[in-house]
Amino acid sequence: MPNIVACFKWVIDEAYIRKGASGTLDFSAVDYKISDYDRNAIEEAARLKGLHGGSVTVLTVGASEAAKGLKDALSRGADQAFFAGDPSFSQLESSQTAAILGEIIHSRIPYDLIICGEGSSDQYAQQVGPRLAENLRIPCISYVQKLTIGEGGRIIAERRVEEGIEVVEASLPVVVTVLPEINTPRIPGVKDTLMASKKPVVTIKKEDLPAVGAARLQTLGMTATRMDRNGEIFAATPEGIVRFVEALQKKGVIS
Amino acid sequence: MPGIWIFAERKDLALELLTIARGLASQTGVKVTAIVSDQGDQGDIYIAGGADEVVLLSPLAEDMSLDAWIPVIAAETKGADPDMFLVAATARGKDFAARLAARLDTGLCSNCIALHREEDGTIVMERLAYGGTAVQQLSCSTRPVMATIPPRTFSPAPADHGRSGEIRKLPPPPPTPVRVVARKTKERSSQDITEAKAVICVGRGMEKQADIDIARQLADLVGGAVGCTRPISEELHWLPDDLCIGLSGVQVKPDLYIGLGVSGQIQHVTGIRGARVICAVNKDENAPIFQAADLGIVGDLYDVTPKLIEELLKATSR
Ligand SMILES: Cc1cc2nc3c(=O)[nH]c(=O)nc-3n(C[C@H](O)[C@H](O)[C@H](O)COP(=O)(O)OP(=O)(O)OC[C@H]3O[C@@H](n4cnc5c(N)ncnc54)[C@H](O)[C@@H]3O)c2cc1C
Ligand SMILES: Nc1ncnc2c1ncn2[C@@H]1O[C@H](COP(=O)(O)O)[C@@H](O)[C@H]1O
Repeated sequence: MPNIVACFKWVIDEAYIRKGASGTLDFSAVDYKISDYDRNAIEEAARLKGLHGGSVTVLTVGASEAAKGLKDALSRGADQAFFAGDPSFSQLESSQTAAILGEIIHSRIPYDLIICGEGSSDQYAQQVGPRLAENLRIPCISYVQKLTIGEGGRIIAERRVEEGIEVVEASLPVVVTVLPEINTPRIPGVKDTLMASKKPVVTIKKEDLPAVGAARLQTLGMTATRMDRNGEIFAATPEGIVRFVEALQKKGVIS
Repeated sequence: MPGIWIFAERKDLALELLTIARGLASQTGVKVTAIVSDQGDQGDIYIAGGADEVVLLSPLAEDMSLDAWIPVIAAETKGADPDMFLVAATARGKDFAARLAARLDTGLCSNCIALHREEDGTIVMERLAYGGTAVQQLSCSTRPVMATIPPRTFSPAPADHGRSGEIRKLPPPPPTPVRVVARKTKERSSQDITEAKAVICVGRGMEKQADIDIARQLADLVGGAVGCTRPISEELHWLPDDLCIGLSGVQVKPDLYIGLGVSGQIQHVTGIRGARVICAVNKDENAPIFQAADLGIVGDLYDVTPKLIEELLKATSR
């Protein structure tokens, strides 16, 4: 019966980021969410538990506000949560995140399978999963669209590569990173949310962890991308469509 | 030993990385090393493309994956201590780069879309953050500076047959715990949408696969290709993955883009920013696509598209 760990990141919902004056980003009205594809990671862990038994632990590292994500994560079929929170953990770089996750998993959580999202919604570095595997010195199977646990703790994964699909097999423990198509994340119901409040949460402080190394990458600048166009809107009426086509002609994109 | 190393699983991608490596090397005078798989072409083409040294990776056994090279290449890199290491951002390449970076304990700029060298030698790399809402500029404080480069971000290096360089071979690596048990090649689109003059993009507003036909009709009419959003290719599998436009797909730069039933989330819009004229048909007047569009029609695509085709036929025959 596998012990499964699903790693999730509590991120700024990018849809709420506004563009301030002169290309700055305005975070004043943002909301947070579980990083999109980490919902698939948690769902896959819960799905496999449903088939094989075992346990599901959700794990996150972040600023103190990330505590808000724990209940959401726990309402998605996990048994317990681990949370490493510190104000300095809000802007971690992939190498640091992977180091902290590796340390916590290695020292505190029995594991057979670790599931990460393909990439986080805010950074989309696509690094934490593979780096975590290296830190734990176990294999990594990335970009997985189908996962099966077979006899004797073998895992069979379909990973998507440019030419098609590579089906690979390995013995547990492994790290897997999942694509969104692997499953459809559940929408937690009222009962799930109520039950989530009763599940155990282990909180880890920065002081309880070995010192986090320096960031390898430095952010020199962050500027908003420009994409506002003047958005002329036409009605779906015969006249609207005629005017739309005229506008296309005027712009010279149809002959 | 200073130098710029590149690694790509395919020849075309290696030549794209050589364009960057050659550009930087000409400013600093360091050597360029290309690590490529041995496909019987002896490596001369990489030397003509700008490499001073070519490391050919012997073909792998049928049940081995690219991962098998990681320990070998990590050892080679540690020994040579290059300034920089660029990897083509294919799925396997991105996984390879992240794991190599972990072994070398260095930083990695994923999906780097531009980079340059400052006067003081700092390499400044650019990438998208927050789904494409922002451009982030990064530098790396450890060696080697690593980056993965999305395919087609740079043009392939032209061949200069007068160049010379060294070629060496690496023996196959030992087996790894991950075994490839099967490979399935998937359907690829026949058209290259990154070069298309017009792109008609299918979004989830399309109700069933057969309906993509109306997008095709429209594309044929304007001399363009059909592309799609990620849910269409990846979740529904209605179109091949290489037609997915956006952050995790391709960037397109047509003269005309028309989104049919596309909501216009930032991760998608990021891939169409280079389009000259962006149009959208969406029944929701508040869909974000209208903010990114030049021209939009608020309406049901099933009602609008046939009428639009009719009107375009009239207009183009006039
Ligand atoms: C890390 C990350 C990377 C991503 N990368 C990409 C990427 O590369 N490319 C990409 O596309 N997405 C990407 N996404 C997903 C992206 O966030 C959106 O979910 C996706 O683009 C939405 O696709 P859609 O517009 O087809 O579907 P939806 O968002 O479901 O929109 C459907 C739209 O159709 C409209 N509609 C419905 N019926 C009709 C009708 N009859 N007539 C007219 N309009 C109708 C609706 O009003 C709606 O606006 C990524 C997400 C993440 C988190
Ligand atoms: N702070 C974090 N806490 C827990 N898991 C994380 C964190 N950051 C990233 N991950 C995991 O690593 C994956 C890839 O993240 P990234 O490398 O940032 O794209 C995410 O989908 C998560 O599963």
